[in-house]
Amino acid sequence: MFAKLKKKIADEAATAPRPGGPARMPRSISKESVTSVGADSGDDFPSDGSSSREDLSSQLFRRNEQIRKLEVKLSDYAEQVRNLQKIKEKLENALETHQDSFVKKLQEQNETHQTSIAKMAEGMTLALEKKDQEWREKLSHLEKAAKQERKLLSTQLQEMREQSLNLFQKRDEIDELEGFQQQELAKVKHMLLKKEESLAQMERELGSSTQELLQTREELQASQALSSRLCREVQKLQQQQVDLETERDELKDAGESAENKITTLEERSQELQAYIQRLSVDLKNAQLATSGSEKRLEMLQGEQESLKLEFEEQRQKMVAQAEEKTQLVGQLQEKVALLEKRLEGSLSGDEHFRELFREKSTLEQSLEDTRQELLAAQTGHKESISLMETQINQLNCRLATEEARLSEKEESICHLQESSSQQLKDLERALQLAKEAVTKSQDEIKDKELQIQKLQADLELESIKSQEDLSSVRSQWMEQVGQLERQVAALEAAQKLERGAALQNSSQLEKENTELKEQCRDLERSLRQQESELERVKVELSSSAEIIQTLEETRKQQVADLTVLLQEKDQQIADQTDSLLKQEEEAKSLRQEHDLLLLQVHQLQSCQGQAAEKEAAMEEQLRVFQTQLQEQQERLLAREKQAAVLELASMALEDHLHLSEDGEAEPNGELVSSDVIQLQKENRDLEQQIAEKNKMIKQLQQRMAELKKTLQKELKIRPDGEVPEVPTAALTVTNNSDLSDSREINFEYLKHVVLKFMSCRESEALHLIKALSVLLNFSPEEENMVKETLEYKMSWFGSKPLPRGSIRPSISNPRMTWS
Amino acid sequence: MGGFFSTIFSSLFGTREMRILILGLDGAGKTTILYRLQVGEVVTTIPTIGFNVETVTYKNLKFQVWDLGGQTSIRPYWRCYYSNTDAVIYVVDSCDRDRIGISKSELVAMLEEEELKKAILVVFANKQDMEQAMTPTEMANALGLPALKDRKWQIFKTSATKGTGLDEAMEWLVETLKSRQ
Repeated sequence: MFAKLKKKIADEAATAPRPGGPARMPRSISKESVTSVGADSGDDFPSDGSSSREDLSSQLFRRNEQIRKLEVKLSDYAEQVRNLQKIKEKLENALETHQDSFVKKLQEQNETHQTSIAKMAEGMTLALEKKDQEWREKLSHLEKAAKQERKLLSTQLQEMREQSLNLFQKRDEIDELEGFQQQELAKVKHMLLKKEESLAQMERELGSSTQELLQTREELQASQALSSRLCREVQKLQQQQVDLETERDELKDAGESAENKITTLEERSQELQAYIQRLSVDLKNAQLATSGSEKRLEMLQGEQESLKLEFEEQRQKMVAQAEEKTQLVGQLQEKVALLEKRLEGSLSGDEHFRELFREKSTLEQSLEDTRQELLAAQTGHKESISLMETQINQLNCRLATEEARLSEKEESICHLQESSSQQLKDLERALQLAKEAVTKSQDEIKDKELQIQKLQADLELESIKSQEDLSSVRSQWMEQVGQLERQVAALEAAQKLERGAALQNSSQLEKENTELKEQCRDLERSLRQQESELERVKVELSSSAEIIQTLEETRKQQVADLTVLLQEKDQQIADQTDSLLKQEEEAKSLRQEHDLLLLQVHQLQSCQGQAAEKEAAMEEQLRVFQTQLQEQQERLLAREKQAAVLELASMALEDHLHLSEDGEAEPNGELVSSDVIQLQKENRDLEQQIAEKNKMIKQLQQRMAELKKTLQKELKIRPDGEVPEVPTAALTVTNNSDLSDSREINFEYLKHVVLKFMSCRESEALHLIKALSVLLNFSPEEENMVKETLEYKMSWFGSKPLPRGSIRPSISNPRMTWS
Repeated sequence: MGGFFSTIFSSLFGTREMRILILGLDGAGKTTILYRLQVGEVVTTIPTIGFNVETVTYKNLKFQVWDLGGQTSIRPYWRCYYSNTDAVIYVVDSCDRDRIGISKSELVAMLEEEELKKAILVVFANKQDMEQAMTPTEMANALGLPALKDRKWQIFKTSATKGTGLDEAMEWLVETLKSRQ
């Protein structure tokens, strides 16, 4: 609220000397209007009234209407005036409260600030004095203590160095031992590696031998296949042998059968010979029979001749009897013929013919009977002859047949003999053939037996060979396997040996380790002993320190610290030296701080001066504000008065209205309307003013806060003296009021520009030179120099512009006011 | 050294970088416009205390674009950068009706400078995506642009966050610069 007010006031103050800014003009006019309306309002009534009397008649009617309107408007205005009054009251109240609060705040701030500054100054001086004294004392103490500490520490350092040298020696020994250990370990590892390599080689050999084994197995399989083939062949041969044997048996059987046949044939020949002998016997018998039959034939032939003689005698008797009978038949026939000649001669005498025919029939019957008897005798004779003849024939036949039979028998005997001889010959031939066949077969058998024997021998040889091969192969394999097993065994033995060796090595190493460890332990023990000695020494030292404590009570704490520090050996020595250095540094820093504090005191004193100045300025501002406030109060009072006047005017208007209602107050209506307009304007102006003043109050508050901040910051920054001066020359465009609070931003801006100038391209940096020269208040020569150096850097050729001796910004420029 | 080589190349081929200043009150959107032009993205910005300078290539023309901080306290330093300026992009917040007067006075003061006599003026009526944004004509009248004499100027309605209007403005600027050469 007040900041804006103040700003406005400041603006007004700033613009006042300027020749009439166009922006400010209407405001001043409005003010004049505000003030003039109140003054003019009273004067306008009568003047308008006097002028209206001349044409009352024409205006009366309008006035009446206007009055009516104005009545309505007046009532509205009355309400508005009331509202405005209320607002005014509120604003007055708010203003008063603001004023009060602000005054109070300012007073409080002033008081607090003054008191705080006083306190600060006093406290700072006191503290500085105290600190000075303290630090001096401390410094003297510390210097003394430091000297003694240095002595003690130097002696301790020497001791510790000796101990550390011993320690280093022992550490070296330990390192050497560790080195030996590592070397041996490396050797063992190397040996192990070699043995692993040999193992790997043996494994490879094993693999190769296994491969050989596999190959030999394959060969075995092949030879087994061969042997199986050979076995098959042997089996075949055996089968052949069996077949041959069967054939031989068959041949033997055939031979036996042939012998049997021969024997049978011999038997048959014997039988035949026997038969032949029998047949010869039969022949002899038959010859005997023939001789007997010849004899019989002779006898028979004698008998036949006797028979033939008897037959001829009988045939002669019969022929003599047939002749006697043929004589009797001839006598009888003569008798018959005499008898007949008699009968013929008797006929006449029939009984002497019939007894002659009867005597003829009985003589014919007696002749036929005598003929029959002759025929019968002749037949008998014939028959006997035929018989005899048949007998002879029969005998002849018999003879013939017997002779035929004999011949036949002889022929058959001859045939038999021939056939038997032929048969014998055949048989002999057959025998010979059979014997030949037998001999052939026996030869064949012998050949076959020889073949069989050969085959058997071959077979046996082959089998022996194969068995020998098998056995040889097996023996080879066995040998190989044995060799391999031996190798494996050897390898295993070697492995075992190696392992044993490794184990021994490892055991040796372990032993060495243990020895080393023992050595280490011994060393550790020695170390511990040394440590204990150290501790003892420390204890002694502590005791000595205690003695020192007893002796020097003033340095008890330091000695105690030192004993505590002693317990931490080398590092602590270093720490102590460091701490010494630090203490020295601290002393230096303390001195520096002391100097700084003195400087700060001086600066604070100057700050106090500045603060007092600022306070004075603030007080002045406050006074100004107070005066402004008073003015505003006065204005408010004036406005209240104006309001009262307006009220009065409104009352008067009302009266006037009443009067015009009565009939004679029309000319004031116009004036009332203008008043109303003016009132509205005033109201608006007032509202604007109030708003502006609120803004100003706010601005002033902000400025107050910024001033506080800058005060605080200046209190902080001033010791460093790093606040850049604001380039007032550049600030022609905008208002100068922002200068004081923009310092911080300006510093930031400068930093940014310098950073960019350093980091950006040269073409861009060229544009920044002007900004830099403005910011840093460069003189034109300096600006030119910077520009030339930049252009030299950018250009490819040209000589470096020498910095002229007269232009040394750090020395020759008195305008640089770094305060 | 990169700068060295670039200077070699620029001196060899004679392609001078166009120097453009982006000016305007604080919070008008100058930095956002600069990085929208350079990267094509909306970056989150903080109030610029100082300036940003970037090289923007548009239609084979190289621009050395200077975005100067617009805060009241550092506005006086704008004049340090006026020399050798080819064009001025004056960015105005279309919604900030209260400070349009300050903007106008700053613009007028800037245009009175001798060093910017030949510079082309491009006014960006920025933040057109907002609701109560002023129209370009309204703004041109508010800035008193029609009264300008001996000055090539153009006003564009833009929205740096949406990216609208920037291309047209750059197109016009490129064409004008080319025709002036």
